[in-house]
Amino acid sequence: MPKFNIYFILFLFSLTACNLEKDIEVELPPHDPKLVVECYLEVGKPYRLVLSETIPFDVIPTTLPTVDGAIVVISYNGTNDTLSNGLFIDPVAEKFFNYGSSTIVPEDFVNTYTLSITDSTGRNVTASTKILPIVPIDSVVYNFNDTDTLASIQTWFTDLPAQDNFYRHTLHKGSLDNNPDQVFALDDRVFDGDDVVFGTGFDYVIGDTIITAIYHIDLAYHDFLETVEAASDSNGNPFAQPSFILSNIENGIGIFTGLTFDRDTIYITQ
Amino acid sequence: MKKLIFITLLFFFHSLLFGQNTTEKYSISGYVKDGESGENLIGVTIYVNELETGTTTNVYGFYSITIPAGEYTLNYSYVGFDDFEKKIILNQDLTETIELGVGAEELVEIVVSADSNKEEINSTQMSVDRITTKQAKVLPSLFGEVDIIKTLQLKPGVSTSGEGSAGIVVRGGGPDQNLIILDEAIVYNPNHLFGFFSTFNSDAVKDVQLYKGGFPAEYGGRLSSVIDVRLKEGNRKKFAGSGGIGLISSRLTLEGPIVKDRGSFMVSGRRTYADLITRAVNKSRADDPDFDKIPDYFFYDLNTKLNFDINDKNRIFASGYFGRDKFGFNDDDFNFDFDWGNTTTTARWNHIYNPKLFSNATFTFSDYVFKIRSKFDEFSFEVGSGIRDYNTKIDYYWAPNNKHNIKFGVNFAHHNFDVGRFQATVASEEDPLFESDVSFQAVDMNAYIAEEFEVNDKLKLNGGIRFSSFLNDGQFYAGIEPRAAMKYSLKDNISLKASYTRMYQYIHLVASSGASLPTDVWYPSNKTVKPQLSDQVAAGVSIGIGEQFLLTNEVYYKWQKRQIDFRDGADLFINPNLDEEFVFGKGTSYGNEIYLEKKKGKITGWVGYTLSWSWRKFPDISGGQRFHPRYDRRHDISVVLMYEINRKFTITGSWVYNTGNAYSLPSSRAILFETQGIDPQVITIYPARNSERQPAYHRLDVGLVYKFFPRFGEADLTLSAYNAYDRRNPYFIYFDIENNEETGLPESIKAKQVSLFPILPSLTFNFKF
Repeated sequence: MPKFNIYFILFLFSLTACNLEKDIEVELPPHDPKLVVECYLEVGKPYRLVLSETIPFDVIPTTLPTVDGAIVVISYNGTNDTLSNGLFIDPVAEKFFNYGSSTIVPEDFVNTYTLSITDSTGRNVTASTKILPIVPIDSVVYNFNDTDTLASIQTWFTDLPAQDNFYRHTLHKGSLDNNPDQVFALDDRVFDGDDVVFGTGFDYVIGDTIITAIYHIDLAYHDFLETVEAASDSNGNPFAQPSFILSNIENGIGIFTGLTFDRDTIYITQ
Repeated sequence: MKKLIFITLLFFFHSLLFGQNTTEKYSISGYVKDGESGENLIGVTIYVNELETGTTTNVYGFYSITIPAGEYTLNYSYVGFDDFEKKIILNQDLTETIELGVGAEELVEIVVSADSNKEEINSTQMSVDRITTKQAKVLPSLFGEVDIIKTLQLKPGVSTSGEGSAGIVVRGGGPDQNLIILDEAIVYNPNHLFGFFSTFNSDAVKDVQLYKGGFPAEYGGRLSSVIDVRLKEGNRKKFAGSGGIGLISSRLTLEGPIVKDRGSFMVSGRRTYADLITRAVNKSRADDPDFDKIPDYFFYDLNTKLNFDINDKNRIFASGYFGRDKFGFNDDDFNFDFDWGNTTTTARWNHIYNPKLFSNATFTFSDYVFKIRSKFDEFSFEVGSGIRDYNTKIDYYWAPNNKHNIKFGVNFAHHNFDVGRFQATVASEEDPLFESDVSFQAVDMNAYIAEEFEVNDKLKLNGGIRFSSFLNDGQFYAGIEPRAAMKYSLKDNISLKASYTRMYQYIHLVASSGASLPTDVWYPSNKTVKPQLSDQVAAGVSIGIGEQFLLTNEVYYKWQKRQIDFRDGADLFINPNLDEEFVFGKGTSYGNEIYLEKKKGKITGWVGYTLSWSWRKFPDISGGQRFHPRYDRRHDISVVLMYEINRKFTITGSWVYNTGNAYSLPSSRAILFETQGIDPQVITIYPARNSERQPAYHRLDVGLVYKFFPRFGEADLTLSAYNAYDRRNPYFIYFDIENNEETGLPESIKAKQVSLFPILPSLTFNFKF
């Protein structure tokens, strides 16, 4: 659908060759600063969290809008764990966090984790989530086109039957240092319980390293990702209704969710 | 509600109980036709001067009036034709089929009789606008493409759903809440070229009526308006043709008698030809590696109609429409083909049982389908959707006496909703990767009865009731839709009017945008999705000012219940469970419409002003706060003028002004740091839906029509300029980050307004023989 809209917009512009764009002044709605939370619970890794806040839309920030000095508590199985404020770096993921603790996330797909944050100005946000089990990749295969030099990649997995499942797929070339060639979230309404494949075009050559991953995500994370994308896409799209961010952070925005994924790496050979 | 039904039935039986008196009465009935072509004329006023009473021809050109025996003068009057008077001695039932002509001195395209306001003032019908092809043809238009639906947008209470769009919004209702029928068959997507042109070829259209409120009982199924389009029947006198060559398309219409004065045919087609140019450009630049191919696009449509008088009491008609839009982009790596279009067929039988009772039996077929086929490397995708209807109905028109006119009828329709077909395949696999095909079979059955009762020479009442029902997937819905209208004449030239209508809408358009896109899907009511419902009250005054002017003012208030929208982040495309994406709410619309029309003289035209509000409230949208739909317009002004300088030259102009669209602006941003392997991104935050306003929209269109008279008949050159003072109206607004030239770092965020059309001159050549 987005592709169709792009063609349509291109077509509209082709109707006229005049300069039909100009700068205008608009008065933006008032900015109400809200806490922004990102916390991904990954089995076997410590609690880590980024707390920041929203900034006015028309302001170019010179520093990251992180929020320090807040009381951040993750509760699990009757235990309250207060995260300390500081700089925490995950060298593998190449991400930084400003809150963390040494508590390791256990493999528990049943119990609920809750989050409560109160900052120095009294703003309070809460959230809860569970961790989902991994949905494994069944196979990763590649096929060459007629020239035998360009390959397409197919990542196969089996959708869990009889329940609403949500997935996120990423595919990187070379390493995880770069943005992925493919990233999108989807649900299993079309292919409930079936074998599922994510495919690429004939974009890869012999010698390429491909890293492909299937994330098993919950509804809240799926909706968050979808609405973030829709809000972003609506800028400049006359056919899109701007989306409001659906977030599981009560009184704030962001996401508090489990992060489970299966990742596979292949090398393209002759 | 039981009490309401009882009152309504009592109203109907009143005519039978009290409509008779001892004086012998006879009927005058027949058809009124265009003297030049033999076409039946809709809405001709037949007035009995001595009794100061009258009637009008129905949509099939038939009239019937029953009055006491005596000597009378009948006056037949119709917009664009000379008055015709006939003296009769009524001592038995009479059949009077009349042919109206145009006098030699009447050179103006829109010619009206001295009594041209009579019908508007005396009828109980309010909230109705009528456009003839003649009117639409002289007015300036986008790319010179005459569009009768766009001309309706110049009437008060009616606005466009977007710049240049043929989609219309009526009294705050959604673009999907308009019932659009072509010769009684529903047209589900009345647009070509992504909504920039309507599917109606003006050469083939005879008459368009738009009901904004006070809906007659024979209409139902949509909340906000009824657009009733009637095709020409074809010239019964002689073979004739007309056509035109324009900037975008060419048209040709042929018509003529099958048997002189007993039957005729009409065939009308048009096709755009931009694709011929773009293909030539693509071919000439095929070797240029930097050249991006231009997508192919064209549309065509074909209208046909046949009619034949079997005898004086039986007439049969058949008409059809077939249109397709084709959009394609094909190169070595990527193929994209997108086709969509409507097909309609109508077969009708008019039967006169006796001078007082007329019937119309109709079978219609409607089909709308879109298909997208896309191929990218080894992957292929096919997406499609459609709706197909078979409908039978019968309508009766009964005029027991001059005080009463009764209509009743019943219809049964079968709908096949192909909500979503989707198939994805990969060349290396035999079976499809994904496959989905969601369809529904639904039926609806409706019955109605309505009566117009002339209580005395001042007061006229119109009451009706419609029973509607809908069955889909085991879920049955039924609704009772009362219709009521009244007219009270304060003076001969001033009347007060009021109306109340209830409408149910059982099918819903899944459209994610304000624009009308061919991928919009019709979706039936079911257990989850209940029918939409509206109640509308309207009151107004109609004043005839001299012989030339008509002034009307109407106020309205509309309650809309079970309105449908979509949850934030809804996935509407290729979704087999669309139900889960819907959210439900309510709406209200209210406003005042003033309309002044000059109908006679060398200068004709109208001025309309609408002051209106439209609101929606959904618990799941914008935190439950009420908001304006995108097309809410506080002020809407239209001025239309046509000046016939002499027999050869006519100058036309239209100016529109309206409050800018309601739209959403962001207030804040946030940074999403993301997970491993994905770069941080900026989130845009919108605090409320449609809380802001785009700049106002205004535009002047001007036209010059030069007529000349070659040997073969008549021709004209129509020069028009759309957006004559080159106003940059907002189409959409977006934000762009501007970087510092030296550092390359983001420096500021600028709002940019994009307009769609600058001044667009066009020249069209039209001919008639």
